[in-house]
Amino acid sequence: MPPTVAERPRSSATERRKRTTAAVILSLPLILFAAVFVIYPLASGALTAFQSSTLLDQSNEPNGIDNFVSLFRSDGFAKAAGFTLGFSAAVVAIEMVLGFALALLMNRAFPGKKLFFTLLLLPIMVAPALLGVMFRLLLNGDIGALPALLDSVGLSVSLFSPDSVVPLLVVLDVLQWTPFTFLIIYAGLQSFPKELLEASAMDGAGYLRSLTSVIVPVLKPVLFAAFFLRAIDAIRTFDVIYVLTAGGPGTSTTTLSIYIYKTAFESGDFGKAAAAALVVLVCLIPFVPFIVRRISSTGMEAKK
Amino acid sequence: MRRKAMALGAMVVSAALLAGCSAGSNGSAGDEGSGEGTVKLVAWPGPEGDAMSKVVDAYNAGQGEDDGVDVELTLLSRQDTFSKEAALMASKSSDVDIYFTASYNIGQFAPSLEPLTDIDTSAYFPVAAEGLTYEDELYALPLDVSNHFLLYRKDLTDALLSDPAAQAEYETVSESVLGEKRAPKDPAEWDLDDFKVAAAYFSKSENPDSPTEYGTILQAKNLLYNTMIWNDVLWGYGGNWEEDGQAALTSDAAKKAVELYADIYKNGWTSPDSAQAEFPETQAALQSGDTAFAIQWSAAFAALNDPAQSPDVAGKIAIAPVPGGKTHVHALAVSLNKYSENKAAAKKFLSFLASTDAMTQYAQAGGIPPMPEVLEAQAAVNPAFAQVSETIDENGFSEPVFPKTFQAYSKLAEDLSGAWVGQTDVDDALETANANLQELLG
Repeated sequence: MPPTVAERPRSSATERRKRTTAAVILSLPLILFAAVFVIYPLASGALTAFQSSTLLDQSNEPNGIDNFVSLFRSDGFAKAAGFTLGFSAAVVAIEMVLGFALALLMNRAFPGKKLFFTLLLLPIMVAPALLGVMFRLLLNGDIGALPALLDSVGLSVSLFSPDSVVPLLVVLDVLQWTPFTFLIIYAGLQSFPKELLEASAMDGAGYLRSLTSVIVPVLKPVLFAAFFLRAIDAIRTFDVIYVLTAGGPGTSTTTLSIYIYKTAFESGDFGKAAAAALVVLVCLIPFVPFIVRRISSTGMEAKK
Repeated sequence: MRRKAMALGAMVVSAALLAGCSAGSNGSAGDEGSGEGTVKLVAWPGPEGDAMSKVVDAYNAGQGEDDGVDVELTLLSRQDTFSKEAALMASKSSDVDIYFTASYNIGQFAPSLEPLTDIDTSAYFPVAAEGLTYEDELYALPLDVSNHFLLYRKDLTDALLSDPAAQAEYETVSESVLGEKRAPKDPAEWDLDDFKVAAAYFSKSENPDSPTEYGTILQAKNLLYNTMIWNDVLWGYGGNWEEDGQAALTSDAAKKAVELYADIYKNGWTSPDSAQAEFPETQAALQSGDTAFAIQWSAAFAALNDPAQSPDVAGKIAIAPVPGGKTHVHALAVSLNKYSENKAAAKKFLSFLASTDAMTQYAQAGGIPPMPEVLEAQAAVNPAFAQVSETIDENGFSEPVFPKTFQAYSKLAEDLSGAWVGQTDVDDALETANANLQELLG
């Protein structure tokens, strides 16, 4: 017997309640995970930024904006921010171009492709800190393999001298993380609608024209995803640079992460370190909606 | 929905940045405990951790059974032991009963440590115990002593001292470097000017006939331990960090000390890579045979004369006091956590460690205990022991202990490492370092 008019809304409300309950139960693990591993550390860190929290003064008394004032009065934070931005811009730009080029190359069939593909992915499988130690040995002027190799062909290069250390760090980052951008872009190319290329070929477009007018616009969301993930990671760069230079000579290679680490664990000033991390967060947040919007667009919309 | 996703994404990004900076809530003030049970101890790996591991095993199998105490040793990473301890201290954790500490961070860590009141320090080097005393209280038990030596290629200096033609060339180099002719001397008699001339003489950039590529290797990386080595030069020129509470890094001695580094670096008498060198790079430079001598940590000597580890130079490396006659001395140590829940048991183990028997075991296991009596008795174990004992007595100095000593080492490395390698102006670097040191001195 079909429900009466009076029964229909009650049934609909029950359904809604059931759906809501199911949604809450299903998302509970994620909510708990976020509460424990995201919201609590975030709130606790933000609170620390407004406290006097050092190894010498563990009172954790609120101190207003003292940590922020101290942060902006010292030029170390600004220098670290400047280096981080310059370094990130350089490595992300190079990695995007190289990653895209490699993805286009690997999108074609050629002998030894599988082996090349595997070798290409090796660097991102190594822990960054371990990679730093490996480079430290490999590039050592006295016992390193690379300087010895260069020396054998008459090239004497000092990789760790003040003039060459920044380019060296850029090269090492590119070596390690280009496979990451390559992998994301390559995955995008695998789901690329081939009929678009066929249509553009029929319209007489050459490879370069197809690349700039078809492939790049359609892949825009994928490119933005690769760019966003790499940019966030580059801004957090720590391991390799810390192992190789510890931020020096002077502060010439100090990244924001190294600055925050040293402030917390060498100076023992957890309040100031948390303040620095909070400032970085506040600077990054405005970019998130923009990037998310770009990533979630289909690319086809742009053409319309 | 999208906004929620964005907010969640933003939080994930920021949590990673902020999580490590969070200080925990207040813990309890610790407890004496029953005097028995498990005592948790941390140390760093390497010669000190390996030696401590053997001492702990011996204690657990012997006196520990009588005491009813079982010591659990955890070796953390060599680079980050103090960082991890700082995080534990900031959260007033009782997870560890005995911390691994050192002269250079005792002032900073003191608020989280329990003063040791019943320890007789008369068997230790006075400089080691003084370096662990803060506001008239001993906060750590000396465990291992570290200082510097000049480690040099004896075969090369002997050849120089026995060859009149080489001596004449040395004098020519000396005139070019110092403006005066100096005859070569035994490295045990070098002052800092001899160090500079010898660095030039043994470098191909100054003397194409040099048997080595570089005279020396400077440890010029932006690292607090490298400040300790530079301090030898500063003290050797008669300088100091401070006088009567006032930072003294704009002195002539400080300027000469930085200029010595900068001259050696800019003239190519050290490898250009020494801008990023520390202990391992210095070892590598000496082991490769490309470098004639270096100011290096005492722990390095045994490895350089071990044919298995240093096949090219073993048997050729000799040891002498640091030119200028001053060596930084610090003690690695162990301290009682103020928030430990088992202090009485931890004190039993610390009392054992303070005995000459325990330190003898430690020396035999590869450590360098800070007890002159033990070092002399165990001279057969390590050929450097006799030199360590003599040098610390005669030439050792300890930087002033104040709450921010640890930060001062780091800050000086940060402010001066650019000038050490000629990247920044010497006077500017020293003025910055002096201002920062004054702020840290309070």
